[in-house]
Amino acid sequence: MLLTADVDTLYLGEDFFGLRLPHSFKRSEVAEIVQLAHAAGKKVTVAVNAIMHNDRIAKVADYLDFLAALQVDQITVGDPGVIYLLQQKKLNLPFIYDAEVLVTSARQVNFWAKHGASGAVIAREVPHDELTEMVTELQIPGEIQVYGATCIHQSGRPLLHNYFNFVKEHQDRADRARGLFVSAPHKPETHYSIYEDFNGTHVFANNDLNLITKLAELNDLGLTHWKLDGLFADHDQFVNIAQIFVAAKKAILAQKWTPDLVEQLDGQVGANQPANRGLDTGFYEIDPSEVQ
Amino acid sequence: MRTIINKPEVLAPAGTLEKLKVAINYGADAVYIGGDAYGLRTRAGNFSFDQMREGVAFAKAHNAKVYVAANIVAHEGDVQGAGKFFRTLRDIGISAVIVSDPSLIEIAITEAPGLPVHLSTQASATNYETLNFWQNEGLERVVLAREVGIEEIKEMRRHTNVQIEAFIHGAMCIGYSGRCVLSNHMSMRDANRGGCAQNCRWKYDLFEMPTMGEKQTETDPKTPFTMSAVDMAMIEHIPDLVEAGVNSFKIEGRMKSIHYVSTVANVYRRAVDSYCADPDHYVLNQDWVDELWKVAQREMSTGFYYGTPTQDDELFGKRRKRPQYTFVGQVLDYDAKRQVAMVQQRNNFGVGDKVEFYGPHFTHHEEVIQQLWDKDNDILRRAPDAMMVYQVPVDIPVKAGDMLRKERAK
Repeated sequence: MLLTADVDTLYLGEDFFGLRLPHSFKRSEVAEIVQLAHAAGKKVTVAVNAIMHNDRIAKVADYLDFLAALQVDQITVGDPGVIYLLQQKKLNLPFIYDAEVLVTSARQVNFWAKHGASGAVIAREVPHDELTEMVTELQIPGEIQVYGATCIHQSGRPLLHNYFNFVKEHQDRADRARGLFVSAPHKPETHYSIYEDFNGTHVFANNDLNLITKLAELNDLGLTHWKLDGLFADHDQFVNIAQIFVAAKKAILAQKWTPDLVEQLDGQVGANQPANRGLDTGFYEIDPSEVQ
Repeated sequence: MRTIINKPEVLAPAGTLEKLKVAINYGADAVYIGGDAYGLRTRAGNFSFDQMREGVAFAKAHNAKVYVAANIVAHEGDVQGAGKFFRTLRDIGISAVIVSDPSLIEIAITEAPGLPVHLSTQASATNYETLNFWQNEGLERVVLAREVGIEEIKEMRRHTNVQIEAFIHGAMCIGYSGRCVLSNHMSMRDANRGGCAQNCRWKYDLFEMPTMGEKQTETDPKTPFTMSAVDMAMIEHIPDLVEAGVNSFKIEGRMKSIHYVSTVANVYRRAVDSYCADPDHYVLNQDWVDELWKVAQREMSTGFYYGTPTQDDELFGKRRKRPQYTFVGQVLDYDAKRQVAMVQQRNNFGVGDKVEFYGPHFTHHEEVIQQLWDKDNDILRRAPDAMMVYQVPVDIPVKAGDMLRKERAK
C-alpha cells in the first residue's frame, strides 16, 4: 500500500536488529518486500540500528550478508560495532548513521561519512536555526523526520513490569498495543507514550512530530530526505499520511506550494492522526538559546 | 602463592581540587575531573587550567593520574576551540580525556596527538566489535555502558585487548546513557550537554488513553510510577570484576562531598589490594560494606552485572531505612605532644558526641568528645561554625587528612 502511495523508500526491519519498528519482519518477508519494492522502482532501507550486545553482534554479520545478497539499498546503523563489521567484511551495503538523539552536528555526521556512511538521520532535538548551520557543512545527505513519534528515552530495563511487580498488580502486557502513557508531575495534560519490547523500555515525546508546514523550508535548506515514522499510526491512516507528504513533495517540486495548500494538507494530516495522539513541530521552532 | 600483578585501577571522581587531593590520599590511582568546557557536569566545580596544573602536580607526586571528562554531545558551534583545549590538557600533563561525541574524539586525536582518549559511558558501548572499532580509531580505553554484565565483559575480553573501564559504585542512569533526552523534552535542559534535570526520578501518572484526554489510570494511588534507579555497589563482587579483565574500576560522583569520595575510595582501595595480594584466600570484610552504607544516598544494587534489574533495583514507594551519618570535620593537623587534633568543622558537633575518626589505609576508631576549645584555647561546648578550626583532644593519635563523622540521631 505504501508503494502505491508513491513513497521513494520503505523503512523496515526486525526487532532483533532494529529499534522501535511498527512490525518485526522475518527474513523471508524482507526478501519479498525488497523484490516488490525494486520491481516498483522503489528503495528499501533496513533497520540495523539497535544497541547491540555481544549476543547480537555475533549474529549481525550473517544478517548483513543476507541483506547484501538481497541487494537491500541501504541499512541504518547506530552502533559502531556494526560499522566495524561492515569495514571488515567490505560488503556492498551502504549505511545511514542513525544513533537517534546523538546525531546533533555536521562534524559528527562527517565523521561517520569518513567511515562509509551514505547519510545520517539528524536528531529531532536539532532546531531549525541549527539545521541552517549544519547543512552548509554536511558532506552526506541528512535525513530528517517530518512525521511521527519521537523516542526520548531507551532503557535496558523492563520499567513497566518492574513497576507492576512492585505494586503487586500483575499485568501481562506493557507492549506498544497496550497504549500506555505517563504524565509529568503537576502536568496532567502531558502524555508521553511508554512501552516495552525486546530492546527494553521506550518513552516518546508528548506529541508526534508533524513538519508538513515546514517542508518548503526544509527543501530550501537542501534537506530532502524526509522520514515518516508510523510506529503509532493506524495502518490505513499511515498510508494516507504518506500520500499527503508525497503530494506535498510534488507540489513543492512543481512550485505549487501555496499557503492554502499547506493549510489543507496540514488539516489532512491531523484528520488521519490517531484519536489519542497530538501533533506539534517538536524542537524545530525552538530557539537554540532556550535549551540550557 | 598467587598474586595479581596487573591490578585494576581505582578511579575516583574529583569535582574540585580539594576532592582530587582527598581522593588520591584515600587511595585512588586516578581521578577524573571536568574542565571549563565540553563536560557534562555544568554544576560540578569544574577546573581551570591552573587548578588542573596543581592537580596534576599533586597526582604525579603521589603516582596517580588525572583524566578530564569532555563528554558532551556537541551541537553546531559547540566544538569551537576544542583542539586548543585538548592540546592544553595534554601539555598540562592530563593522562587522558573521556569523550563520547565522535566529533570531539576526532578533534582530540587529530589536533592533540599524544593525548590518550577514552570513550565515555555516554556512548553506550555494549559489544566487543564496538570496542574494536574505537581501538582501531586510536582510543586507549572504553568505558562500558552500565548495561553490560560480567559474562559479557569476559566475552569482550576474548575478542579485544583495548582497556576496559567499568562503573563499580554510585548513581546510575536508568536508561542507556546518552540515549535519553527526557530532560530536553520535559525541562528544556540538554541532558547531553550538562543540563540533565534527572526527570527519570520524577513521580509520574501511568494511564491508558483511548482518546485524547480520556485517561484511565493504571497508577497505584499510594505508589506513583517512576524510573529511578538505586545506586550501584560492587563491593561484594571485586573478584568477579578483576577476573573478568576490567582494567579500571570507576566510582561515580563528581558532585559528591569529600566525605563520600574519601570513604568510597578508601573501601575499594582496600578491597582491590586485598584481593590482588592473595586472591585465593580473599574474604570480603563486612566492615567495607558497612562503611559504604554510611555514605549511601540510596539503596544499592549490582545493576546489570548479574542480569536484568528487577523492581528491587528501582526506587518505588517509601525508601528503605539505611544508616545516616553526618560529616562533621576534617583533621588539619595533630599535636602529638598535647594529643590534640586541629579539626576544621563541616557540621555542628560538640562535647558528648560519639565521633568516628577515619583515615587513609582504612584506619578507624571511635571516641566520645570530652573537651573542645577554639583556637584561643577558650573552652566550648559546641563547634558551631562551618570551616572554623577547633581543638579536639583525642585518646588515639590521628593524622592530618583524617575525617570525622557521627551517626545521625534516629
